[in-house]
Amino acid sequence: MRIRRTLAGLAVAAAATIGAGTVAATPAHAAGPSKVSVVHGIPGQPVDVYVNGAKTLDNFQPSTVAGPLDLPAGKYDIVLVKPGDLVSSPILKVDQAAVPADANITLVAHLSADGKPAVTPFVNDVSKIAAGKARLVVRHTAAAPAVDVRAGGQPVFKGLTNPNEAKADLAAGSVSADVVLAGTTTVAIPAANLNLAEGTSTIVYAVGSAEGKTLGVVAQKIEGLHSTPGGVPSGTGGLLEQRTPWGWYAVAAVAVIALAGGGAVAIRRRAHV
Amino acid sequence: MHARTGALRGHGSGARRALVVPAALLLALGACSQDPPPSVGGAAASALASSPAAASGGIPVQAGALPGAAATVAPEQLRIDRLKLTARVDAVGIDAATGDFAVPPSVDEVGWYRYGPGLEATAGSIVIAGHVDSAEQGKGAFFRLRELAPGDAVTVTGGDGVRRAFTVVAREIFAKTAVPLERYFARDGAPRLTLITCGGPFDTRTRHYRDNVVITAQPAAR
Repeated sequence: MRIRRTLAGLAVAAAATIGAGTVAATPAHAAGPSKVSVVHGIPGQPVDVYVNGAKTLDNFQPSTVAGPLDLPAGKYDIVLVKPGDLVSSPILKVDQAAVPADANITLVAHLSADGKPAVTPFVNDVSKIAAGKARLVVRHTAAAPAVDVRAGGQPVFKGLTNPNEAKADLAAGSVSADVVLAGTTTVAIPAANLNLAEGTSTIVYAVGSAEGKTLGVVAQKIEGLHSTPGGVPSGTGGLLEQRTPWGWYAVAAVAVIALAGGGAVAIRRRAHV
Repeated sequence: MHARTGALRGHGSGARRALVVPAALLLALGACSQDPPPSVGGAAASALASSPAAASGGIPVQAGALPGAAATVAPEQLRIDRLKLTARVDAVGIDAATGDFAVPPSVDEVGWYRYGPGLEATAGSIVIAGHVDSAEQGKGAFFRLRELAPGDAVTVTGGDGVRRAFTVVAREIFAKTAVPLERYFARDGAPRLTLITCGGPFDTRTRHYRDNVVITAQPAAR
């Protein structure tokens, strides 16, 4: 059993989104709830998840992603137990975890570098992605040493350690990626095809244990981060202006009659004075 | 009263009218050759864009498998009988140099925005853009797009061979600096087809049109 209080770090990480934040003083912008997802990255151990004493996830399976659910800003007690066990006999618990306002967070139940169960919160980057691009985030949440992540054979993220992340916005599309021990070509997690959808953040968690030979990945997707093209330039000829279809002459004639009529009335009015 | 106006009319108004009428004629013709037809159906287009998604209950739990390739149905042919138009549709993305929509260079072809929804989509805007014209190639596939009006039929054939019928609900004209692209490149809201080209006054110095013409169509009732 291990208690990590890293959730408190969230308050700092998301300070930008809270701003002057502690709410009561800023009625103009009421602080909204945060989107909270939960990733299960502990191999072989389904769990029930309790939040503030209430069972929130039942028989939550390894390598699955729950949420997002809306949680108002505040402090939360989070307890993981074996399915059916009492909340008083936890596998893992986090007391008074701080959830900030207006953030997008993933809580990851995983193994620490030395193989102990832990819960680590990550604040997800949900800023808009340029048109044509996709965001790739890799999080080291496995009982394993530092790693490099390679895409197309080239290291893109180097020296990543548990429990940290690396990210980049890349051209949308398919890329073959693998994970090697940092600075080596020793493959820790074999190559897999990553389909990076445009305007989407794909978050890949390295999970499991090197020693236990249970290393693997869990993926989470956050959609709707797309931007629009800068514009739609679709004409350089200027030919529209060289053409006045007969229909427009008819419209013009009506306008002329209306204007002429209006002009005559105006003249009459003026003559009255 | 009738007699009075009749008498007054003789008092120099004939000469004034002689000036007013040609001036009005020039103004009217000038305006018509530059201004596109007015926008129609904007409210309908907005309503489609803000159509709410179905609410779901409970906390969703998903397998954390790596995402696979999406099964998108690309539009391959566009037919608009009203304009006597049949055009090939290319899958296009973003012009890397400019960040703009990569409209196909050939003015006879139109481009489907492959990052947005395809024909299989149950939500969002399927976008096809094409040239109104080009300096080198002349009139483009969408030269007469601005003549479309609510009720006109548009047919799109997908890579799956299925023809899908749409009905125009709106024609909107925006200055390019003010076109609400988020609405037309949205991936939510009711499923709809958006056709875009250029229009409005042409700047002979920059060789660009001022406006975008945007047609919104919804799946035809079957």
